[in-house]
Amino acid sequence: MKIHALQIQDAAISGTAKKSRGPFLTPGARCALPVIVLLLLGFAAPLTAVIAYSFAEPHSFNVFSSFTFANYAEIFNTENTVWMSFLWSLSLAAVTVLILSVIAYPIAYGMVYVFGRWSGLVSILFVFPLFISENVRLYGWVLFFIKNGVFDGTLNLLGGSDAPEVLYSPGIILFGMIYTYLPYMLFPLVLGLSLLPRDVVDAAKDLGASRYQVWREIELPLAMPGFMIGLLLTFVLAVGAIAESKVLGGQSVIVLTHDIEVSFTYAQNWPLGSALAVLITLITGGLTLFMLFKLDLDRVLGRK
Amino acid sequence: MVEFSRRTVLQMLGAGGAMAAASTGFARNAFAAGRDKEMNILCWEGYNSAQVLDPFRTEFGATVKAESLTNDPTMVNRLRAGETKVWDLINLNNPWARKLMWPEKLIKPLDQEVFQPYFAKMLPEFKAPFHWAMSDDGKDLLGMAQRFGPYSFVVNTDKVSRKMAEDEGWDLFNDKAIVGRYGVQESDDWNVFDMFLVAGIDPFKVHSEAEMATFLATAKRIYKGAKLIGDMASLNQALISGEIDLYLTGGTYSVSPARADGYPNLRGITPLRGPMNGKGGVMWIEVTSTVNNPNLSPLAPKFLQYVQRPEVAHTVAFAEGTFNPVSQMGNPECFKLFTKDELEAIQWDSLSEEMARSVAYDIVPDYEKALDLLNAAKRERG
Repeated sequence: MKIHALQIQDAAISGTAKKSRGPFLTPGARCALPVIVLLLLGFAAPLTAVIAYSFAEPHSFNVFSSFTFANYAEIFNTENTVWMSFLWSLSLAAVTVLILSVIAYPIAYGMVYVFGRWSGLVSILFVFPLFISENVRLYGWVLFFIKNGVFDGTLNLLGGSDAPEVLYSPGIILFGMIYTYLPYMLFPLVLGLSLLPRDVVDAAKDLGASRYQVWREIELPLAMPGFMIGLLLTFVLAVGAIAESKVLGGQSVIVLTHDIEVSFTYAQNWPLGSALAVLITLITGGLTLFMLFKLDLDRVLGRK
Repeated sequence: MVEFSRRTVLQMLGAGGAMAAASTGFARNAFAAGRDKEMNILCWEGYNSAQVLDPFRTEFGATVKAESLTNDPTMVNRLRAGETKVWDLINLNNPWARKLMWPEKLIKPLDQEVFQPYFAKMLPEFKAPFHWAMSDDGKDLLGMAQRFGPYSFVVNTDKVSRKMAEDEGWDLFNDKAIVGRYGVQESDDWNVFDMFLVAGIDPFKVHSEAEMATFLATAKRIYKGAKLIGDMASLNQALISGEIDLYLTGGTYSVSPARADGYPNLRGITPLRGPMNGKGGVMWIEVTSTVNNPNLSPLAPKFLQYVQRPEVAHTVAFAEGTFNPVSQMGNPECFKLFTKDELEAIQWDSLSEEMARSVAYDIVPDYEKALDLLNAAKRERG
């Protein structure tokens, strides 16, 4: 009798499932349709165009009507020095991420555990600059650091000495990138640390763990998902940075995005620019997939 | 509390969708039926400003859309890529209309009966038949000239005297003493000209391997010794603050905003001599043409007539961004609108002699190769 009831229930469920699938799509698929359309139009289509352009004849607009590896061959040509731009972009991004993780961790820790009711205000202070255009903020820094500018003028007024020349150098580009991307590292870290169960830390302390042991074996591994998202986000953004090198750095080094920009403008070599864009996308995309593979998103979002 | 059932929501969405579809349908019909109230301009900055466009919009009841870009090759290629259907007017530097857009049928000729008389009122350099506005065979008028200016390099005359800069010309950049004291503007098409000129080579011809090697060596040296590469605002700022004493490429177009802001010591320089049949300066003249749009707006020629009016020409000269002389200054009605300070900002005192010492911006036959070398040289800065 019991078996019979279960069979009926099964049949009813499968019947409902069949019915709800309807003539075309399941409700889930129909709900996802706007997102799928948006992704196809806003993400897949431009990306397809860029990939297709990278295989077009150099200096032409024969996308989808010509196929050649000439653009990639040009990039990998031993005489081409574009590898220097790849190197600058990737190393500046890597150093930015490294420094940011050292700077952002204590701030994030403070915001979660130390600042108390002031942490809201601290958050606002870090978010507020994002409302102002990045270029405007960077030009502001130029006026601060430029000869006879705010910094130089203030030092002269106070002690009579000239400010060190910092503008138009790779160092100031790095400074600009750290300044610009700090919030993108900070807030994922805050999220990661705030999801850390306090009981576990207390338990570790009760069992005699030192402060270092608590940090190394409890806090850091548990905050790691947020940390990883911060690393990933800032790295991807920093690889694509251009304004810092142009405005603050006076193009003292040429980053890859500058080469891509020149290909699409002065050189009007869209296929070469696309091939450069595809290569850097592959590098950052590969890294992202690797990190996401390592990362448990469910844990980050607090579902576990 | 208002309750929505799924049915009512779907009905509302359906109605909204139908209205949206209908409205785009109307728009398309309006587009196809005639474009007598709309016009699109692809231009350098200035023509897209509200000062220039708003009075036209009001007078003609027109919807005018303008997009401003800061290099010619991009704009030409927008038309080549099929945007002739979009734009009605294109505003570019002098060689493109005659040498490229007309042969490639990207632009339409103007009615000579209407437009040639305007040239008679322009400055003497623009008298009809004005070379850059005419087709190769001299039969068709391809556009109207308005803004122009010499464009070689800019110095802070407190640090480098005008006399010395003009006399030494491009050789100034071969002097080791100025390493770290100059900047380079990021307009790479103009930088190609300048690196050739610093190397003592005429840019506007086909170059030999040896000349290209000299070009590369010069570009490497110039970029290596430059304090910064930047946009004109950054370079003017660096000149004013004392970070640098001079920069290339530059001229009235780039330095006039700083001069107008009270820094007349900053000055565009045109060398007294150089490798282009004895001339050392390069100048630009904008030519605005009607696009070969299958459905060209009738407002396009009207706009070209509108900007010839003395007061509008004066507005164009001092539109936002940069300040430049205009060909209509040959008309006393237009010239009298310029104040003493405005004339000072655009270096009117030396304008005609600087133009006489300059050759017009032209297409470099081996530009692609030279640009590749230029960018390779730039990378070696770091």
